[in-house]
Amino acid sequence: MSTTATRTAGASHDDHGHHVHHTSTGLDNRKIGIWAFIGSECMLFVSLISTYLIYKGRSRVGPYPHEAWTDPATGTVYNAILNIPVTSFSTFVLLMSSLAMVLAHNAVVNRHVQRKGFWQQLEGNSVFWLISTAVLGIVFLMCQAYEFTSFVHEGLGLTTNLFSSSFFVLTGFHGAHVTAGVLWLVTLAFIDMKRGLTPDDALTVDMCALYWHFVDVVWIAIFVLLYLIK
Amino acid sequence: MASFSIFRRVQLDAQTFGKFARFALVPLLTFGAAALVHAQQYPNTTFNYTTELNEITTHLWDRLLFWATVVFVIVGVGLLYIIFKFKARPGSPEPTHVHGNTALEIAWTAIPAVILAFIAVPTVKAIFLTQAKAPANALQVEVIGHQWWWEFRYPEYGITTANELYLPVGRPVNFALKTQDVLHSFWIPRLGGKRDLISNRTNYLWMTPRDSMALKSLNGSCNEFCGDSHGNMKFRTYTVTPEQFASWAAHQKGPAVYGAVTPKPAVTATPTVDSATTTTKSGQVGTQLANATPPAPVGFVFPREKIEAYNIPTRRPPATLTFTAGLTGDAERGRLVYSRSSCIGCHKITGNPSSAGVIGPNLTHIGSRYTIAGAIYENTTENLVRWIKNAPAMKAGSLMPAIGTGEYNPAIKAKVTMGGLSDQQIVDVATYLQALK
Amino acid sequence: MATTVAQPTYAPAATSTTTTSYGKSGVWSWITTTDHKRIGVLYLFTSLFFFIFGGLEAAVIRAQLAAPNQTLVSAELYNQLFTMHGTTMVFLAIMPLSAAFFNFLIPLQIGARDVAFPRLNAFSYWVYLFGGIYITLPIFAGLAPNGGWFGYAPITTMAYNPGLNIDFWVLGLQILGISSLAAGFNFITTIINMRAPGMHLMRMPMFTWMSFVVQFLVVLAFPVITVALVFLQFDRFFGTNFYTLTAGADPLLWQHLFWIFGHPEVYILILPAFGLVSEVLPTFSRKPLFGYAVMVYSGILIGFLGFGVWAHHMFSVGMGPIADTVFSLTTMLNAIPTGVKIFNWMSTMWGGKIQFTTSMCFAVGLVAMFTIGGLSGVTHASPPTDLQQTDTYYVVAHFHYVLFGGSIMGIFAGIYHYFPKMFGRLMNETLGKWHFWINMIGMNLTFGPMHLSGLLGMPRRVFTYDANQGWDLFNMMSSIGTAIIIVSTLIFIYNFFTSLKSGPKAGRDPWGASTLEWSIPSPPPEYNFAVLPTVTSRYPLWDVSEGHDLSREHHESPEQADQRVPTARELNIPMPFSTAKPFMAALGLCMMLGGMTLKHVNDYAFYAVVGSGATMLVVSLYAWLTSPLEDFYTS
Repeated sequence: MSTTATRTAGASHDDHGHHVHHTSTGLDNRKIGIWAFIGSECMLFVSLISTYLIYKGRSRVGPYPHEAWTDPATGTVYNAILNIPVTSFSTFVLLMSSLAMVLAHNAVVNRHVQRKGFWQQLEGNSVFWLISTAVLGIVFLMCQAYEFTSFVHEGLGLTTNLFSSSFFVLTGFHGAHVTAGVLWLVTLAFIDMKRGLTPDDALTVDMCALYWHFVDVVWIAIFVLLYLIK
Repeated sequence: MASFSIFRRVQLDAQTFGKFARFALVPLLTFGAAALVHAQQYPNTTFNYTTELNEITTHLWDRLLFWATVVFVIVGVGLLYIIFKFKARPGSPEPTHVHGNTALEIAWTAIPAVILAFIAVPTVKAIFLTQAKAPANALQVEVIGHQWWWEFRYPEYGITTANELYLPVGRPVNFALKTQDVLHSFWIPRLGGKRDLISNRTNYLWMTPRDSMALKSLNGSCNEFCGDSHGNMKFRTYTVTPEQFASWAAHQKGPAVYGAVTPKPAVTATPTVDSATTTTKSGQVGTQLANATPPAPVGFVFPREKIEAYNIPTRRPPATLTFTAGLTGDAERGRLVYSRSSCIGCHKITGNPSSAGVIGPNLTHIGSRYTIAGAIYENTTENLVRWIKNAPAMKAGSLMPAIGTGEYNPAIKAKVTMGGLSDQQIVDVATYLQALK
Repeated sequence: MATTVAQPTYAPAATSTTTTSYGKSGVWSWITTTDHKRIGVLYLFTSLFFFIFGGLEAAVIRAQLAAPNQTLVSAELYNQLFTMHGTTMVFLAIMPLSAAFFNFLIPLQIGARDVAFPRLNAFSYWVYLFGGIYITLPIFAGLAPNGGWFGYAPITTMAYNPGLNIDFWVLGLQILGISSLAAGFNFITTIINMRAPGMHLMRMPMFTWMSFVVQFLVVLAFPVITVALVFLQFDRFFGTNFYTLTAGADPLLWQHLFWIFGHPEVYILILPAFGLVSEVLPTFSRKPLFGYAVMVYSGILIGFLGFGVWAHHMFSVGMGPIADTVFSLTTMLNAIPTGVKIFNWMSTMWGGKIQFTTSMCFAVGLVAMFTIGGLSGVTHASPPTDLQQTDTYYVVAHFHYVLFGGSIMGIFAGIYHYFPKMFGRLMNETLGKWHFWINMIGMNLTFGPMHLSGLLGMPRRVFTYDANQGWDLFNMMSSIGTAIIIVSTLIFIYNFFTSLKSGPKAGRDPWGASTLEWSIPSPPPEYNFAVLPTVTSRYPLWDVSEGHDLSREHHESPEQADQRVPTARELNIPMPFSTAKPFMAALGLCMMLGGMTLKHVNDYAFYAVVGSGATMLVVSLYAWLTSPLEDFYTS
């Protein structure tokens, strides 16, 4: 990620800061702030994921994530609940969104590069890449919504057992982060359409990108620890 | 570096010394007095040599206290010296700007590390010693915490009792600690080794009361905050000889002696006051057993004269909880009332087929216990009738509801009407319960 | 060592003060302020209020326990009192008292004009204020939290605590956590990025250093308690199973999460006090801090180890011998950097010319009292002895020596030291000495005997105790001690307010101190430094010419003190706008979170309050983020 452009951005808290303040590191305050925020978020997800792992295999009743369960009271058989193919798809989508995010950032930073032809112009079209990132995020959220709904239909509600509580709260928190990211992206795309983001705005996009990649990385961890490891 | 010489004469300023002596004296006295506590003048002291468990911890404590005192004296004396020596006085020279001294700083990083090693090694040894597996011949006792009383089960003997724990000396006892509800913590300070009772888990704690502990009565308490009446969750431990224990256990297994006695109507109206209670504040209550002399328990019961002052609860029921004076109880009438009341929903009395509840304490031998309500009140008629009448008034948050007619029951936020007992019925029930030796 | 001469450019051209940045009156100017100094003052007053409130709760507790079998308060109310005493002192008194110093001092010490995010700073304060009110008020209705400040599950779950009490606690702590986190991000950024030219990390004053460590602890520890509280909140409001026993939940989950937060929290409480004392001791010994680098590293190490010792709060839960050993050893390890600090402080005084001002008395008091707390801490770092001590009054004695003898003493040292800088006036030294000595006697009389009652078997958190247990004398002593502490605190309050009004003018450097904040007028102008200083040494005001008592030269004559300080506008210094948006956002946030309690009362009220809170939050956040921070000619 380019940080050279951030030097020129104002040190104030918002887009309209018009004074270049002295900073000790040469980085903008917001850049440091977002890193501190992400460090803090790491602990949040570490706690949530640890809880899921601690409660793994401790539920007294099913359905369970990786194995079938027969309700001793009714004799109903519940299948293993996790749908790996769907989640693999949504994971892929989220990974692709990070790629789009990188391209969006790149397009903003290199706004002044002369571009010729469709593909070059597409590469420089920051609105397109911002919208693409947001759309891929939305597709991911739709997959999650589908997953949650089907779980509920299969008999796994928020309050069913330890697995369901820790699963829904963890993935729900992640989903909420993706939602926040989508709103952020849409706002940026809106600003981009309205007045055009310039290299001066690189930091604004950079912060969003940092956040988005972080959310993506967290999902990789969740996907591996919850879905892939039995 | 000259300023670091300890050979420079100390200019003692008597007045300042007096000021700063207070500084160090209080904590010094505190720690000094802590060492004296070994004298065992205190009924719940944590420094004992009564089991192998507390011998280990007491030795370890001695070592910790020694090193803590050494460090404290060094720091305290050093600080006092610095305060008097370097106090600004007219004409004191301007200090040299010393920024540090690597050798010194390494020294006082290394020396505490060495001291800590002197503590750490015995600590680790003690951890593994005290948490070793219990010996195979250990007496198994299941301790089950309830809000706010203790249930004790002896699987080996099939005994279930509450709030009063009998332990034979000379035999290891292994407590299996569980809880029915929230977290509690099981602690007999004089025997040592607190352990928490964790929901959905079982913890273990074992120790061997020494022979010297025969016929001792000890206090125990809950030490993990467990709700409204956390401060009301106590118990007693009786350490007895193996023979006494065998006798007690043999009797506790079966139903109470009262079952074997032919009940007769009450014959006297003279109020009798339990021997241990000399003060009754309001409404004297008399009870009389069906037969003129109370049945002697067949098995061993811890002798009343061996119960120490520190065991006897000094709590009195609130003055607002009144009881009709001069009533006389009848055990058989009480048995009938009891067997048809809501009591049986929660309590079990072996030998009384209608009473099979498991929520409350097992009452089979309640008459042979010295305390009620989590060992916070003496088991006197005075206390027992009031407890039955309105338990929540005597113990905050009590899960046993008020039963006396007209009493306010916080559980249903209304006064007791349907199914409530009159004072006469309560005296009868109390008489019945006290006959269950 | 550092003997280079500081460039005198940072000394403002015109000197001293008639206008102060918070001399502006009117409630509105306080609500809309974004000046770190005014926010610091707000923190100071609010947290002192909560400190006194928490102290009164303790006074009731001690009155109840003065003698056996007392019935001054019921068991239920007692449980609310001790829960709120702990919660108030930790989250509403000591943390924000430290925050008052973070706000006021950090920008001054590093030579900055403000914090990195001035509006976020205001937001932190208002969230703290509203959260504090929210969690405190219920006690007047007998609905205060009653699960202990540690709130061990499952006593806090619906099954065992169906009332609103715990709702207030969960939501209140969530609100306060947001305040601390926001402040954490802000100060990390400020310290990393806003230092004046030449202010290298290893030249930063020790208070800033310790605060820096604390912000990392806040930022890394608070998310963990947030998660633990989210679980509890979801359990209580949406029926999840994190602490539901019947679903097979493990109560130790809460304990681990709580203490992974809770132990760093202890260092969050104590390290700022260490920092303050590290400013006071060198100043009044007239010597630089001994072993500056080691002091920095030991602070970092304490913070780092703070994350590896949490389970020493849980030796009695039966973790097994291996876990007990590991946590015991890491805990003992932590005694080493702490010991180093004590010895370095003593060496700082060694060979000095010690002036026993009130501030210095409190600082030396910290060194002595904290040593006691630290040593008793080592005795329960050893699990076998801890099993006899945990949850008894011995532990109460231990952590009060650490938190009262450590944090509070350090904060008092800080207040006496920095009062002149904050308000331009000196506090009364005679009353200050009375405050110190009475406080010292009261503190030791209160907490000293608790060592004994604890070792003699008295459990914690009991609303009363029986006679004949050998505890009566110690409890009576503790209660008398509490009364003495109250007397000393009254003296302090009187001194504080009379000095505020009519204390002698302080001038810019009344103590002859060495760091940047003393080079500017007291109280500082809103822009702090007319010209941003260039720093060439750790002790810029001393190293101008080492070997002389330079402090005298920094003193101002009374005539100088009356000279006018130019405004930001005159100096052409851009200042942040005053704005009520952070206030509105904080109010909205607190309504949104706090209003959730109403779910258990009335659905319509719930939706109305939470909905309007959320709307207010979103609208004011939008307005906040889309409006400029500062302007050239605003002041």
